[in-house]
Amino acid sequence: MTGALTWALVISALGVVVVRRRSLALALVALQSLLLGVHAISGASGQSTALLVAGAVLLAKAVLLPAGLALVVLRTREARWIASERHPLARLTLALAVALPIAALVPRFGLLHPGTERAAVGLVALGITTAVVRRGTIFQALGFLIAENGLYLAALSAPGGLPAFIELGLVFDLVVIVSVAGVFSAKIHEQLGTGDTSLLGGLRD
Amino acid sequence: MTEGLVIAVPVLPIACGLLVQLARTPKTADRINVAGALATAAVALTLATVALVRAATPSHGSWYLVDGATGVFLAVVAVIGLMSALVSPAYLAGAGHGFFRATRSRAWYYLGFYLFWAALLALPLIDNLGVAWLLVEATTGASALLVAYSGRRNALEAGWKYLVLTTFGLTIALVGILVLYVGLAPHGGVLSTLDWQQIARHAHSLRGQSALLAFLLIIGGLATKIGWAPVHNWLPDAHSEAPPPVSALLSAALLPVVILIAWRLLETLGPTLHGGVAKATFLAFGLASLAIAVPFLWRPQAWKRLLAYSSLEHMGVLALGIGFATPLATAGVLLHFAGHALAKALGFYAAMPLLRHQPDAAEHPPRGVARASTGTAAAIGVSLGSLSGLPPSPLFFSEVLILLGGIAAGQLAVTLIAAALLGLGFLGLAHALIEGLAGGEHQGRWLRGRTVRLAERLTVAIGLGLIALSATAYLLPGSGVVQMLMRGVR
Repeated sequence: MTGALTWALVISALGVVVVRRRSLALALVALQSLLLGVHAISGASGQSTALLVAGAVLLAKAVLLPAGLALVVLRTREARWIASERHPLARLTLALAVALPIAALVPRFGLLHPGTERAAVGLVALGITTAVVRRGTIFQALGFLIAENGLYLAALSAPGGLPAFIELGLVFDLVVIVSVAGVFSAKIHEQLGTGDTSLLGGLRD
Repeated sequence: MTEGLVIAVPVLPIACGLLVQLARTPKTADRINVAGALATAAVALTLATVALVRAATPSHGSWYLVDGATGVFLAVVAVIGLMSALVSPAYLAGAGHGFFRATRSRAWYYLGFYLFWAALLALPLIDNLGVAWLLVEATTGASALLVAYSGRRNALEAGWKYLVLTTFGLTIALVGILVLYVGLAPHGGVLSTLDWQQIARHAHSLRGQSALLAFLLIIGGLATKIGWAPVHNWLPDAHSEAPPPVSALLSAALLPVVILIAWRLLETLGPTLHGGVAKATFLAFGLASLAIAVPFLWRPQAWKRLLAYSSLEHMGVLALGIGFATPLATAGVLLHFAGHALAKALGFYAAMPLLRHQPDAAEHPPRGVARASTGTAAAIGVSLGSLSGLPPSPLFFSEVLILLGGIAAGQLAVTLIAAALLGLGFLGLAHALIEGLAGGEHQGRWLRGRTVRLAERLTVAIGLGLIALSATAYLLPGSGVVQMLMRGVR
């Protein structure tokens, strides 16, 4: 695992926290998944099962899911920027304030490279933070993908890797969850005229 | 024979969910639903019986485990699923369409319902932590759209919140599973490394820090799905907005089944953690859930929302019983699990006539139901009376057993705090019960329509079931079921 790759993964996740356009955020996550997928395929050369699994993961995460979400984006035009969102710099500061301490504080748990371990934990934290600091449904759904990419990065660096069954199961679950999120996103937009989840505030005690 | 049953248990409901898609009329869909539900429940209950009879010699397959705990949880999920399936046609008849197009809404409902039920039935059977995680995540995919089925704005919010919070919670649990897997990899590094017995066998070889990290991440992540405080935010919303048959499955089946996964982890990984951290984690979640639920039980709440906060309270009680980990507390947990499931399901089914005749009960506390419909009032009375722990409810006996178990475990302070909170919760629910049945202005009597008649029949059946459970309170402590409950994972 090269340092350049892990940096690219982290920077693309931070990009999703900052950028305004949903399509750009989607492209960043697709790129992130593509980088990871290519890395997985290059690491699996010569092992047919691992190659098959890596190919399936790449197809699902870098092609199918971004394409599905892009379709939702196309069908749910936002008339204006989501007003309830914080300033991009505030979002970035918040994301870093959450992800950096978590990545630093989680003790080493046995992955091959300490840098990869921190990057993986950081990506999971950034995925969750994305859902907290972004109001749009599509951005929150992208948070799932970023967090899952963090887990995938960790799985690729685990000694021996994760069992193929678990990896395929994970991708299947991810496809289901992101598809359901896409359906919700479209329905919320249909009801509210926007994907701004801050307008869904009726349920309070 | 066991393996055949194990395969049939999740396959039958999936097949039924797919078969319903072929139905051309609502009536045909409802008939397929009834037939499929009866077949599924019959097979699941047969397997549960086999599991309980052979609790001393658990069966293992390449991916499944059939032990005493499997038997108890499978039986309850089967019964709750069957009842929810049987009341679904009555709900759908008056539900209209919301989230889905009118022509397909019934088919989508049944597909989601049966996939959800299949995952719930499979969970107690799974012998592997990783696969169990995949199934827990699958329950989110299947049930999130059901939560938003009405298509109302609040239902969309509840469904979205449920999807986002539980998915991220489960992501954290998966990080924990990865930590555990990496730590155990020297003992295999294959899928079976995460089998319960393998975890129990090799957990001692984990570094202390890794074991603790894995345990806390997994339990913390599962807690979001269980709805333990303080990570319970989705629970009141999803339970109150979902269709009543789905709310029953969420509260009476989903939450406890995920608790079973957490319990199995406590049994396998917990003993390697120093200083009783594992049990203390359960006790902390238990007390936090009770403490956060009780104030809401005192506030005037819409009926289903009140039931949702009661779920938070009862999941806290289960956490305490598991954390005490004495035979008395374990007997209490089993009784509490079954009693809560029956009483809570009845409460949600009673919401069908209630919301049909008193629609503002979706937003406000019900009033004067006893004067309007004796049958619905009986359902509400039996449900809320049982949930409050009013004797002779099985929940009264189970709470006593759990508290005695706490004293036996030497956790006097925790037991006293829990007893005080349970007492306060009882008063809150008793007040809600009196207000709901007798309070408010006089209103005309409701027609004794389909949903009211259904509530009456269910009250009789579930009432008898609750009495039978109360009777077992005398038999459970010290019984073979309790002693051999988790034998399969050791």
